[in-house]
Amino acid sequence: MTRMAEGIEFRLTVPSLQISLGEKIALIGHSGCGKSTLLDILAMILQPTSAGAFRFRPEKEAPPIDVVKAWSQNDLNFMGDLRKHRIGYVMQTGGLLPYLTVRDNINLSRQLLGMPDDGTVEELAKNLDIARHLNKHPDLLSTGERQRVAIGRALAHHPSIVIADEPTASLDPIAARKIMALFIALAEELNITVIIASHDWKHIKQLGLRRLAHRTTQNSAGTVTETKVTG
Amino acid sequence: MRNIFKLALTDYFYEWQMSSCFVLALAAVLAPMMILFALKFGIIGSMVEQLIEDPRNREIKPVGSGHYNSEWFNSVREKPEVAFIIPRTRSLAATMQLKSNASTRIIPAELIPTAEKEPLFYKDISIPTGLHQIVLSESAAHKLKVAVGDQVDGSLNRRHDNQKERVHIKLTVVGITHLAAFARDGAFVPLDLIIATEDFLDGRAVPALGWQGDLPLESERSFPGFRLYANTIDDVAALRDGLVASGIEARTRAADIDIVQTMEKRLNAVFWFVAVIGLTGFSFSLGANLWANVDRKKKELSVLRLVGFRTSDIIWFPVLQALLTGILGWALASLIYLAVETSINRMLITQVDEDNPVCRLLPLHFEVALIFTVGAAVLAAALGGYRAAKIQPSDGLREI
Repeated sequence: MTRMAEGIEFRLTVPSLQISLGEKIALIGHSGCGKSTLLDILAMILQPTSAGAFRFRPEKEAPPIDVVKAWSQNDLNFMGDLRKHRIGYVMQTGGLLPYLTVRDNINLSRQLLGMPDDGTVEELAKNLDIARHLNKHPDLLSTGERQRVAIGRALAHHPSIVIADEPTASLDPIAARKIMALFIALAEELNITVIIASHDWKHIKQLGLRRLAHRTTQNSAGTVTETKVTG
Repeated sequence: MRNIFKLALTDYFYEWQMSSCFVLALAAVLAPMMILFALKFGIIGSMVEQLIEDPRNREIKPVGSGHYNSEWFNSVREKPEVAFIIPRTRSLAATMQLKSNASTRIIPAELIPTAEKEPLFYKDISIPTGLHQIVLSESAAHKLKVAVGDQVDGSLNRRHDNQKERVHIKLTVVGITHLAAFARDGAFVPLDLIIATEDFLDGRAVPALGWQGDLPLESERSFPGFRLYANTIDDVAALRDGLVASGIEARTRAADIDIVQTMEKRLNAVFWFVAVIGLTGFSFSLGANLWANVDRKKKELSVLRLVGFRTSDIIWFPVLQALLTGILGWALASLIYLAVETSINRMLITQVDEDNPVCRLLPLHFEVALIFTVGAAVLAAALGGYRAAKIQPSDGLREI
């Protein structure tokens, strides 16, 4: 897969990448190397300039879904439905809706899917240590608490995959380590595939994640940066 | 669908300060537009219309006297531009002395022939029929001190066979016209009574009233004049030209009509000029506001897209909010308008009659304003929403 941004200055190539169900993947690299781009493509919210094959098998026995085909048809709703059921996404900056309470933010995907009010939200909030904030709006929360809410929202509807783009980048190292550990533990408990992008391998080395190999090269003229990811 | 409704409403009321600003901004532009239109509708609409409708502007008067028979009257009556036509007798033979019990004065009154569809009467005045009913002009009724339903005594005198003769006729006042209809002492009477009057004054007998005299005319009667009114002032010129072409010289109030028409055209032009500028400004301000609002919410819409809301939901979100802004803004503008309308009309109520206030809108106008506002709002928001829905979800997410 190739993604070109602003002409040909930046190129992300993924010759092959296979992620199994339940795997925990780390994508490590400095900012600007294309981590976010790859995550967005994997989350189906960004269309690559060209794609050979992208198949997504949401469950063990399920037939694989051809994402390239949906892209070629520009079927945003198809991918939206796929995301709704199968994917949780934790953004760098939370991405919470300011007008919803913490409870409603966590419950957003569940409500969209018509899932029952079975205490999942409260349970998650307890595990994430934000139960006391459930009825507050996000603007009253600290950055770390907001990231916990974002993690809660990504997990609440039991997706197949949770994709997290530097979920702890805006936090201090101690809080970052704590929240990352909590996140991985919760995903493990729910048997959810996790793909995390981070610039700091140290933080997540001991959490047992598989690190994806990537290499960044520049052409001799310096006009093209190419990142190659395989795994 | 229910989800996006709930989210849009939650956001709208959570951001109540911002939402209020949008509503206020909308009302601030819409209310003056409504007031402007109400003034145009009230002033130009009613007052100019009154001038246009003034029956005297629709009258065509023959110059001098002619010989018009019933065949001619029938042919004129059939023309589509003609609202009213009735024969006139010789004006010297169309006067009657009126007296009432309430007053000692004897009034010589001009007799004016009338019939159904009398253009000088307001709707509430009954048309006199037969030989014993009249409608008095206001000045005549005032001098005679009579009201509707009273009786007056009409008398005529002539010299016949070298003798002075006088006849009396009992007349019931069935109506009194407004001053504007006829300013002098006059009485509107059925054509039969005016013909009887002329016959008597000419020395002939009127058997229907028991008046003696020479034998009635054998040949067909012809009249020296007529009262003719066109349907609208626009028909006046054509009608007069038709008369002139057939050799009948006629006078109209063409100059007055011209002034009124020119005035109406100019006032209308001024109004539409202001209205078009105002409406354009209103549409742009509304559109720009709502478009900017969608832009402001791009990140939040991207988040909705990310969690799997569909394209239609993403469009509905700003559209619903615009719908609310439109309805609330319209409601606020209507309230402001009604308050202004009340005070304008109260200030000027002495100068206008109560049926024709200076400032007024019909319920239809409110509906049109609502439809226009909501339509423009929804269109602007839908365009903005469509733009937001079309972008890749990741584009909005990375902002800030």
